[in-house]
Parts: sequence; C-alpha cells; structure tokens
Amino acid sequence: MASTVIGAGITIEGEITTDEDVVIHGTVRGKLQAKEGVTVESGATVEADIAGGALRVAGTITGNITSSDRVDLQSGARVIGNVKAARITIADGAQFKGNVDMDT
Amino acid sequence: MADVTVIGRGANVVGRVSGAVDLEIHGRIEGDVAVEGDVTVEAQGLVAANISGRRVVIRGAVKGDVSGEDAVRLEEGARVVGDIQAPRVAITRGALVRGHVQTSGSESSERRARETQKAARPAPATARPTATAPAPRKTTTTAVGASQSHVADGMAKVAPKGPPPPVVPVLKKGAKGALKKKAG
Repeated sequence: MASTVIGAGITIEGEITTDEDVVIHGTVRGKLQAKEGVTVESGATVEADIAGGALRVAGTITGNITSSDRVDLQSGARVIGNVKAARITIADGAQFKGNVDMDT
Repeated sequence: MADVTVIGRGANVVGRVSGAVDLEIHGRIEGDVAVEGDVTVEAQGLVAANISGRRVVIRGAVKGDVSGEDAVRLEEGARVVGDIQAPRVAITRGALVRGHVQTSGSESSERRARETQKAARPAPATARPTATAPAPRKTTTTAVGASQSHVADGMAKVAPKGPPPPVVPVLKKGAKGALKKKAG
C-alpha cells in the first residue's frame, strides 16, 4: 500500500515521477508521470501534462493527458488539453476542450 | 485541519513543494520544501532540498538545510548533511548529523531565551556534567561530526543554552578535548 497523496492546500511546482498511483487534491504545476492510476479529485488543480495509467478526473486539468489505459472525466471535471488514451468516458457535467486521440 | 500529503515510496518529485499541510515523505524530493505544517521524512525518504516546516521529524536522508518554526527532531536512521535551525532541536540516538546546528536565530526563540536567561546562568554549570555523561553514547551516533549539539534527553535542556551567545560557552575548551579523548 504505497500511494502518493497530494493533499488539498499543497502546491507542488515541478516534476513528479512515480511508479505508484497518485491521488491529487491540491495543486500540481509542471509535469506528472505515473505508472499506475492517477486520480484528480474535485477541487484539485493540475496545470501539467499528465502521463499515467488509468485516469479519473473530477477536478481541473490544464494540460495534455496521455494514458496507457482509460480516462474517465467525471461530472465536475474541467479539462483543457488533448487526451490520448485507448478508452475514454466523458460524464455528463464534465467540461472538456481539446482533442481526443484514441488511436494508440 | 490539513490533510496529510504523502509522497509515496516510489515517487520522485523534482521541484518545489509548498502549502499549509502536513507532509510525509517516503520517496524522493529534489528541490525545495517549504510547508507550514509538520514535515516527516520517513526512513526511506531521500530529500535533496532545504526543508522548512513547523515541526520537522527526520528518519531518513536529507541533504539540505532543515529549519523548523517549532522544533526539529532527528530520530534513529536520520542522516542529515546540512544546517539545522529551530528553537528546539533534538537529536536522538542513531541519528547522524553533519552541519551547523543552531537553536537561536528566530524571534520567538530570542524572546524565550531572554526569559530563560536568568535560568541559563546556572544551566551551563549543570550542563557540563551532562555533556560528558552522554559522550560514550554520542560516539556511536554522531561519528560524522562537526555537530555542535548534545544528545539531549529532553528538548528543554537545549533551550537554556538558547541566548544569542551560542552553544560554544557550554563547550568550553576543556570539555571538547575531553569528548575527543573519549571518542578516540
């Protein structure tokens, strides 16, 4: 059980590389690269390119998303950026502006 | 009540971490850590950064300056190369330090130091016997050495030395030589 939790109220400016899953409640600026899943919780702000496994987004992302698995934009999510993933779901209520590339 | 931010074991952060949160570091951080909460560097943590927080507990490796608003505590397994600054510093058995340790320098500690100055005068007299007593223990821990702080049983013992004339008056020339002889 090792996962990285970036709590609400914390700001990380830089590059994060991890081989575990990441849960973000706070603010990340820069670049995020995870081998496992990434969860961007509601209230989180990510101004970074994200590369990871399964992505679940309920917060705000400004940046490109590349996933080796699936991307789920939940209600309340705001994504400005391109998404490259094999599978994607955009729930009702999610806002999205960018390209979707499912051809991997 | 801030959440605890956990930088997991496999995580690698290059950049700046800041916020009003508590931070637990099991992975690697390179850059700068400046939070307003408690910082814990766990045993597998590797931090190549200056750390500043309210209460800092270190059980892993830190290369950088450590400064605590409240206290800094180095526990067993801690390896710190860098300066430590906090009103209260505790270095417990098993910790390794190389750097300058300073328990004064912040306003709150100066105020506290002024209040304890009357108590501080008899303190050096009592501190000298304790300086030699922990010495055999100290040799197994701070072998790396330029550390100027004593292995303190409680943080309170460090505070009386607080007043701006630094720790040196306690380590009179004779005491340091005696310590070195015991270490040899």
